[in-house]
Amino acid sequence: MGETVLELRGITKKFPGVTALNNVSFVLEKGQIHALMGENGAGKSTFIKVITGVHKPDEGAMILDGKIVSFANPNEAKAAGIAAIYQHVTNYPDLNVTENIFMGHEKVSPTTKRLLWKEMHEEAKRILQSLGSSINPKQDMGTLSVAQQQIVEIAKAISTNARIIIMDEPTAALTARESEELYRIAEDLRDRGTAIIFISHRFEDMYRLASQVTVLRDANYIGSWAVNDISNDNLIVAMVGREINQVFPSKTHDIGEEIFRVESLGKVGYFADVSFTLRKGEILGLTGLVGAGRTELCETLFGIEKYDSGFIYLHGKEIKFKNPKDAMKQGIGYLPEDRQKQGLILPWGIGRNITLPTLESFTKGGWLHEKTESLKAKELAEKLNVKAQSVFDLVSSLSGGNQQKVSVAKLLMTDLDIIILDEPTKGVDIGAKSAIYEIINELAYQGYGVILVSSEMPEVIGLSDRVAIMREGRMVKVMDPQEITQESILAAAMGEMPQGGETICLPV
Amino acid sequence: MASKMEETYVHRKLEAHKPFSTKQFFLQWEWLLVLILIGVMVLNTLLSPYFLNVTSLRDATMIFLDKSFIVFPMAFIMIMREIDISVGSTVALSSVVMATAYNVLGMPMEVAVIICLLVGALCGLLNGLLITKFPELSAVIVTLATMILYRGIAYIILEDQASGNFPEWFGFFGWGYIFGVPFILIVFVIIAVVFGLLLHKTSFGRRVFAIGHNDVASKFSGVNVNRTKLIVYTLAGVMAALTAVFLASRMGSTRPNIANGYELDVIAMAALGGISTAGGKGRLIGTVIAIFIIGYLQYGLGLINIPSQTLMIIIGALLLFAVIVPKVKEMRR
Repeated sequence: MGETVLELRGITKKFPGVTALNNVSFVLEKGQIHALMGENGAGKSTFIKVITGVHKPDEGAMILDGKIVSFANPNEAKAAGIAAIYQHVTNYPDLNVTENIFMGHEKVSPTTKRLLWKEMHEEAKRILQSLGSSINPKQDMGTLSVAQQQIVEIAKAISTNARIIIMDEPTAALTARESEELYRIAEDLRDRGTAIIFISHRFEDMYRLASQVTVLRDANYIGSWAVNDISNDNLIVAMVGREINQVFPSKTHDIGEEIFRVESLGKVGYFADVSFTLRKGEILGLTGLVGAGRTELCETLFGIEKYDSGFIYLHGKEIKFKNPKDAMKQGIGYLPEDRQKQGLILPWGIGRNITLPTLESFTKGGWLHEKTESLKAKELAEKLNVKAQSVFDLVSSLSGGNQQKVSVAKLLMTDLDIIILDEPTKGVDIGAKSAIYEIINELAYQGYGVILVSSEMPEVIGLSDRVAIMREGRMVKVMDPQEITQESILAAAMGEMPQGGETICLPV
Repeated sequence: MASKMEETYVHRKLEAHKPFSTKQFFLQWEWLLVLILIGVMVLNTLLSPYFLNVTSLRDATMIFLDKSFIVFPMAFIMIMREIDISVGSTVALSSVVMATAYNVLGMPMEVAVIICLLVGALCGLLNGLLITKFPELSAVIVTLATMILYRGIAYIILEDQASGNFPEWFGFFGWGYIFGVPFILIVFVIIAVVFGLLLHKTSFGRRVFAIGHNDVASKFSGVNVNRTKLIVYTLAGVMAALTAVFLASRMGSTRPNIANGYELDVIAMAALGGISTAGGKGRLIGTVIAIFIIGYLQYGLGLINIPSQTLMIIIGALLLFAVIVPKVKEMRR
């Protein structure tokens, strides 16, 4: 056993309405690479933010080198030797490597306060070389590859004398070879005594690097094991093994004939060779880890993005569309993931939001009939049970669940065959969730083909007739009802690449 | 428990008619503009004995209404959170092409006028194409470039000379009356009504507002954002060309440096009229009142020989007032 550098005891962090961390404990030793694992929303991000001083825990203690510490802000954590490298590299692309490394702790002449560029460049070069990298410190950050930028971020951590480095999904955007380079650097740092917390969705990363793994699930601490002591299956159970305690409506819809078919659809840098079918009245769950290409696929099916290869068939005929309006005309509707930015016009009333996609149907001889418009909007908003006083109530004043109902109402205005719902219950409280589940079920009952994109496993399992799983831009599996379990879905979402698949380049 | 059941299962009724509120009606920005307009009229009457005279008030509109045509499409552009500062140069270029077509190429004046409008439309279309094809460029920079470009072409065509000698009937645009009402005033009213209805009573206008508030959500809602922008920029070019026709008619000739600074006057009128540069807000009735405020202010202060620099100070102060007042109202909320 090495010496403990950081220990967290019983950390609890609550946000209004949500417990993000509940009594979480964690022990990190010197020269250890410690994997932190859990599903999306398990609490990993909050956990990191507590360690790096972004959030203050409500309960519990953090012990650094045997002393209880409490960070008021990220700078204090930095000063204590804790640095974090994030999944999406956060840097200044127009500044050079040295400027990025020393941002916030520049070397300054004690007398004249002049910036000591020469010294900084030399120091930057020295650190980069110690990491085995030949990046020129005078090069602009934006001209480097993501992998090189990660290395610069690590160099930045070293330049602040960090003894604890947190890497948040550093390999998510790297190719196999670049990942190997990163592993080597991580091991090198470990051998020099730095403690590393490594967060990744890839089992591969964990087995390659970590000696210890801690699992979080639904804000709770599940356990901590030596990597050699836990089997892959047990680890998956630890990550997903919660009970499905939400009530899902019983499946009352009849599944009809195939209406929608996608064949080897591809978009360079986003997804490749995606094929699936959808039948009338069917709910197809579409899941995968964040960044697997689900949203990109859906936006392509709605005409926001263009595809490079493949075919889309609706009712047996190949269709093409150049923009969302076209896609809607042909019968495809999309509920975007971010309802505040993409779905709704917040300073507008409920009614105007609902009718925006279908203004033509209220236009006669060029004139907009606002009365018919309001009445139709009222009818739909009432049908979906939007809680408000009038159709003129601003959407910004509604709760998340009611906003989502307004977004759904927009889709019901048009004559659609396929409805794609992208994370329909994101940011919606539990009570409203079941209302949305009812709506989704009702849509299928009415004969729409529904594609339900969701990261929430119980939701996918509870609602879907079949489940399609994407990983790294590919549709790795479409599961029939009898195959669907939390374990099988997670294994497919995180597992090995399918045999013979070429590596596709993920977006930078 | 029963009440909870009710809340979950009984479908709520929503109000679909907007109640009329007297308080809300009088709290509208336009009433403040009306007060300012009255203030301008009273002030001018006190300062000059010649101001309050129906004939001169009527004829003053011939002087200040030409540029106001551009205010309406500019309001559309600003509501979409965009800007067009090339309109003054478009006026110059289209009028210079018109004069050249008539005087140099020997075309009939009617054809020259149509060419003028086409040139304006092309200028606007080019702005629109550049802005929609290169969304990463800001509209200020794009139209700054075309502003210099269009003006430069006007100088190349005519060099630094005037071109006039238009046929006599052409003077009717600038100086004609129909039943004692200046022709330009009649055209102004028609254009104001058409644009007002387009903005507030059609689906096109609704989409313009939608884009101004949230262009991403508009796109996801099936609004053809780029096409709407193209149409509006082209309209701005056409209206600038119409201004060119009336301006050339009133002055009897044109030269490459006419309509210098019109873009700023036009933006000022729109802003004073309550068109928010933050997008999504504004009504055309406000811009109509603002056009008359600035127009009569200029005319009245001109009567008592107030230097134009002083006038600039007053208009600048008025504009500041107009953009700050709504913010103060928001802060107090």
